[in-house]
Amino acid sequence: MSNQVFVERPRYTCASGGAVATVTALPGGIPILHAAQGCAGNFAWTQNGAAGLQVGGYCGSLTVPSSNVQEREVVFGGVDRLCQQITHTLEVMEGELFVLLTSCVTEIIGDDVAPVVAEFREQGVPITFAETAGFKGNSYAGYDLVLQSLFRDILERGLPLQKGRVNLWGIPPYQDVFWRGNLVELRGLLEKLGLTVNSFFTAEDTVESIRTASAAELNIVVSEVYGLEAAKVSQEIHGVPYVTTALPIGPAATEQFLRQVAQALSLEPAILESVIASEQRYYYRTLEPLTDCYNDMDLQRYAIVVGDGNYAPALTRFLADDLGWLPELVVITDSHDDDRKRALTLTVKTLTSGLKPHLVFESDGSQIISHFHQIWPSRQNQKYKHAFNPAFVVGSSLERELAASLGAAHVSISFPVSNRAILDRGYAGYRGGLRLIEDLLGVVIAGR
Amino acid sequence: MSFLDQKEPPRREERLGACIAMSDTVGTLAKKKSCLLDDGERAFSQGSICLMLPALAILNSIPDSVVLVHGANGCGSCSHSQNANTRSGSLQRTGKGKDAIWLSTGLNETDVIGGGEVKLAPAIREADLRYKPKTIFVVSTCVPGIIGDDIDGVVAEVQPDVEARIVPVHCQGFKTKIWATAYDAVYHGIGRRLLDEPEESDEATVLQDVKVSISGEQQTEEETEQVSQLERERFHRTVNLMNVSSMGRVDELELERLLQSIGLEVNFFPVFASPDGMYKMTKAALSISTCPTHDDYILKHLKEKYDVPYQLKHMPIGIENTNRWLRDIAVFFGLEERAEQIIEQEVQELGSALEEFKPLFAGKTVFVSAGEFRALATAQLLMELGFDVRGIRSFHHDEFAEGEYEKLARQAKTDFLINIANVQPFEEANLLQKLKPDLFLGHTNGNMTASKLGIATHVIYNTGLSYVGYKGAYELARRLYRQLRNPSFNINLSKHIRLPYRAEWYQADPFRYIRTRGGRCHE
Repeated sequence: MSNQVFVERPRYTCASGGAVATVTALPGGIPILHAAQGCAGNFAWTQNGAAGLQVGGYCGSLTVPSSNVQEREVVFGGVDRLCQQITHTLEVMEGELFVLLTSCVTEIIGDDVAPVVAEFREQGVPITFAETAGFKGNSYAGYDLVLQSLFRDILERGLPLQKGRVNLWGIPPYQDVFWRGNLVELRGLLEKLGLTVNSFFTAEDTVESIRTASAAELNIVVSEVYGLEAAKVSQEIHGVPYVTTALPIGPAATEQFLRQVAQALSLEPAILESVIASEQRYYYRTLEPLTDCYNDMDLQRYAIVVGDGNYAPALTRFLADDLGWLPELVVITDSHDDDRKRALTLTVKTLTSGLKPHLVFESDGSQIISHFHQIWPSRQNQKYKHAFNPAFVVGSSLERELAASLGAAHVSISFPVSNRAILDRGYAGYRGGLRLIEDLLGVVIAGR
Repeated sequence: MSFLDQKEPPRREERLGACIAMSDTVGTLAKKKSCLLDDGERAFSQGSICLMLPALAILNSIPDSVVLVHGANGCGSCSHSQNANTRSGSLQRTGKGKDAIWLSTGLNETDVIGGGEVKLAPAIREADLRYKPKTIFVVSTCVPGIIGDDIDGVVAEVQPDVEARIVPVHCQGFKTKIWATAYDAVYHGIGRRLLDEPEESDEATVLQDVKVSISGEQQTEEETEQVSQLERERFHRTVNLMNVSSMGRVDELELERLLQSIGLEVNFFPVFASPDGMYKMTKAALSISTCPTHDDYILKHLKEKYDVPYQLKHMPIGIENTNRWLRDIAVFFGLEERAEQIIEQEVQELGSALEEFKPLFAGKTVFVSAGEFRALATAQLLMELGFDVRGIRSFHHDEFAEGEYEKLARQAKTDFLINIANVQPFEEANLLQKLKPDLFLGHTNGNMTASKLGIATHVIYNTGLSYVGYKGAYELARRLYRQLRNPSFNINLSKHIRLPYRAEWYQADPFRYIRTRGGRCHE
């Protein structure tokens, strides 16, 4: 069972790493690390092994400018080196948004970066900073901190509200390996409702649309746990209200998501109903030809779902309420405070199919099997036994040994995803549900 | 006093005068006698790696072990990529792919203020109970380094209650620019903690097996003497071959094939080597390095303390380099004649096999970037294949490579650029734009610049691919042939993607941000 003294194979990197990944995904985004030389490499290797073969972007990996502080800076302070580094970064690097990110070393030695960055911003440089020391949190925290900095320093203040304009976030780039596909799909759905969307990280987003995102009528956070602090900052500084929702995967969750957004914006019911009807028609017409094989091949499965605070509840809901599978154990692998645990639990415990999977918060993959044995005692050596099969483990690539020990099929979705190549595949929305069915069943029939 | 009597190994900047920032040409470097080149600092820099990353790459491979990273929650997340190597490496060696086990003490703000030692002791105990490993590597990182956690003190305190042997490995990234210090850090831990022969050693068991197989139950004095003689001979023909993860199994097999062909037995250390068997490296007839930059620290220790001689010259990448590497080993064992026969036959076979590729390679220009020895050795191979080497960037420079510059200068048609840089793609972008080579070979995470400029590329180091020995020369040639025949992936990228540098940067002196010692600016 999980312990308080270490985390086994943490399924994220630190706040600084999450922040670098986030800035890398922004249009023209240039992260500037104020850190020891190895932080950038650690993040690059992490992405290399865990992000579905996606490393870097416009300015990621080992291209990231970094002050590479040494013992000298630890003793005498690193602010001078930082000023030099920013000055030269602006000489060498072509960027639209610069985000200075601090680290363990530079925060412990107490470098005061805010005045340095303020000075450059006063000269008109599009730059902000986030204090992302690794000891302050993980990748998810880094993502949230960068968004907060954008709202604080980059989004213009005092713009008049624009009806029908919304911002969408809650999906951390690279940490959610399917970030691009998920954002594109949800953005497209919101546009079908007639909304103008800024989603920060897609190819459609621009620095201009980010700058003026403070004019939005509503912020939509498709996460119950990630990016929530940024939503509060935006509300406080720009007066934009927000809604949060579980990551919508498949028709049931997506319909609920669309209704929630429509209600928050008081949208015309006719438009909403027409979008839902059209999307559902597409989903079920596409699904229809699967019916024969789904039945003939007995493709219903028991499932163990392992993932982060976004994926574990969202996948569980899809498997139970849309696909008609039987998720028995749900494992959330990153840490959350009690309030957020309650929200996540509620999502898992209010399935419309009436299933009540067992939910645990467990960071250590090797302990999942013990949780499973508690809910599903092994009945070896019995002639008639209600075994846990046929079964599927929907988790990360670290669940391969678990799946093998249970004789279950396996697919990697939540970070780390080391054994799949992902570019713009996504599981969010109606079409994401279809992709997910393809990927799950594709594994089952691979040897056919 | 030996370095190994200290808690931590010294920095390579001090121990070896290693440097990371300079530019020169191969002709000039070949003439310099000292390794103490004018090291510099960069007034603009990009990220790199620290010693923790290569250290974890080794430690994550070691079976029956857990790696406990003492630091903030992200330090060690590089293990996610190393895990792929651990899985494939263990599959190739044992038939079973296994995930590495790495743990993080996840130091938080409270720990930074109050100290992390209180977390470390229970973490070690819990790791011992839960995973029952033979070894727990405690890897110390920047945060405990600054807040002053006494890792060795905690280990000493906990060790009596813990079954596993605990090995501290010091990896404070801010302390050294030379990440090759990683190898010293790992070897330091192994040298201090894992080289003692267990009381009931495998060797005794092996000896027992040999006795039984020779004589059955009864054993005369004469037979016992015969067995000991056999055993001694075996040790006299067993060599340590050092691999710190820069070679995959395919490369190990090639070197084993060559050494076996002259009658030697090979044990590989330290990657994928059982902690219980590490002591065997103290018993070998010779320790052999495949990359001098990696191994001097442990080889010198094995020589001083256990009287195991070593060979620390040549990297078996390239035809002539492989010849020399094998020849030197053969000379040590008095097996020159056999070696010369093998070399002659191998070189001839390889030469004819390479003919197919050479017309495509002839005169094509190439730029190489990697760890120093690997970059230089690979450059020699590329010359042997008919390429025209236009530039080399090494991650750092130290004394081990001095002879290599002479070799290169002798072979080079014209003088060319040498740049020492711990990656620094901005300099590379500038250089490549000016030199416009036909082919670029870069380290892992080091090909993106050339790739986005539309240059044909190939990875100079990947533990799954074959690089060393005669087979490696052929396989590398075969892969380069493939890349050069169709570099469309890169060409297409270059048409639609731009590197994140300002247009002015390409006009500037690529080394304008290098400030050499004494404050002289390169501008």
